[in-house]
Amino acid sequence: MSTPIKRVVVVGNGIAGLTAADSLRESGFDGELTIVGDEPHPAYSRPALSKALLLDGDDMSSHELPPPTHGANEIRGVRASGLDVERRLVSLEDGTALPYDRLVIATGSRARRLSDLPEELTLRGLDDALTLRGRLAASPSVVVVGGGPLGMEIASGCLAAGCRVTLVSQGTPLIVQLGPYLADVFVKAALDRGLTVVETGGARLEGQAGDARVVLEDGAVLQAGLVISAVGDVPNTDWLADTGMVEKGVLQVDSRGLVRPDIAAVGDPAAFPTPYGRRRIPLWSSAIEQAKVAAAALVRGDEAPPLRFQPYFWTEQFGLSLKAVGYLPVQGEPTYVEGGPGGSSLMRWSHDDGSGTAVALNHRIPIPRLRRLSQGTG
Amino acid sequence: MKIVIDRPRCEGHGLCEEAAPQLMHLDDDGELVLDREEISDADASLANAAVRVCPVAALRIA
Repeated sequence: MSTPIKRVVVVGNGIAGLTAADSLRESGFDGELTIVGDEPHPAYSRPALSKALLLDGDDMSSHELPPPTHGANEIRGVRASGLDVERRLVSLEDGTALPYDRLVIATGSRARRLSDLPEELTLRGLDDALTLRGRLAASPSVVVVGGGPLGMEIASGCLAAGCRVTLVSQGTPLIVQLGPYLADVFVKAALDRGLTVVETGGARLEGQAGDARVVLEDGAVLQAGLVISAVGDVPNTDWLADTGMVEKGVLQVDSRGLVRPDIAAVGDPAAFPTPYGRRRIPLWSSAIEQAKVAAAALVRGDEAPPLRFQPYFWTEQFGLSLKAVGYLPVQGEPTYVEGGPGGSSLMRWSHDDGSGTAVALNHRIPIPRLRRLSQGTG
Repeated sequence: MKIVIDRPRCEGHGLCEEAAPQLMHLDDDGELVLDREEISDADASLANAAVRVCPVAALRIA
């Protein structure tokens, strides 16, 4: 990379884009930096939306991040609509074209939907969270479709807001993401707090505007004032359709987050090498680590270190707070390092390859210590 | 410059400690301890990295 880098464009102003912009500066890039985001808001913390923000009395600031220090030209509320990799131009929906020497793709993902009905709410962005908060107050009954961590966090928030809540899940909630042992712990806590769980093979939304209902696999119908779906995410890669870089909606990157030497992809849309093959890991700390590595690689090339990533996941719901380091789901019973079933505890699962997953449940523990524990050196 | 912690917000994830172990750590109770509140220019980028990684924005630079 002998030619000097004069212009870098970052498309996406979430935590991945923000961290990439910061890290470009830390790697010594002092040229023209532009960051484009399709939301009108400054970058914020997405994990807070389904946790504190649904609950915080009048404190509506739990998602706010400190203002950026990268000194980029920030373009907000404008979506990228196309990319010409030969001419190195990003086009925006307002007709602007942004030339670049290096490009960071950090466009995140959007909620997968079950219908086009306006009654189907999803929770992905800040506006979604504010809408949901407003609607909860006037909705005595809520159906949440989706038994993953997001669906469960939303269900927990709705219960805490005083709603009657039914959660529709394909199989036991959280079993796919966390494994049977932890799923059982969470489902028990949820049932104790009054959640109704309906397991079904598949659910669909039917009806028309003003009269939406959830239809289960056996034909049973659930009606509620409010239907919220949390059934996965779809990477925002449509704008790259003509580039030949997108495979099944995903951008495949190397161990430094690069799609090609002048283009990095970070955060939700990027599938990067893991011990279990190339994967998307759409989590907070994953986005941050990917963005740091990729920004350094764009500036310094192969001298920059590759990604060495160990997932960190946390959730708060139904009075439980879980922190996990290592790959999930976990199978079988844990070894209890501290505490025991039913209380504050520290658990470890060993995997066949010698690595492990360490989980803290209602237990405050520094993440570095949890990491050491997952590696069997704690 | 200084790092300021908003205690009620801190959930003890400790991602900040991972980003800047020279500047802060979580104690045995999981409470964040700032080892150096005054940040020199040399440590500014470390401090920024620690502030940025907090998912609940419990840290800021003043």
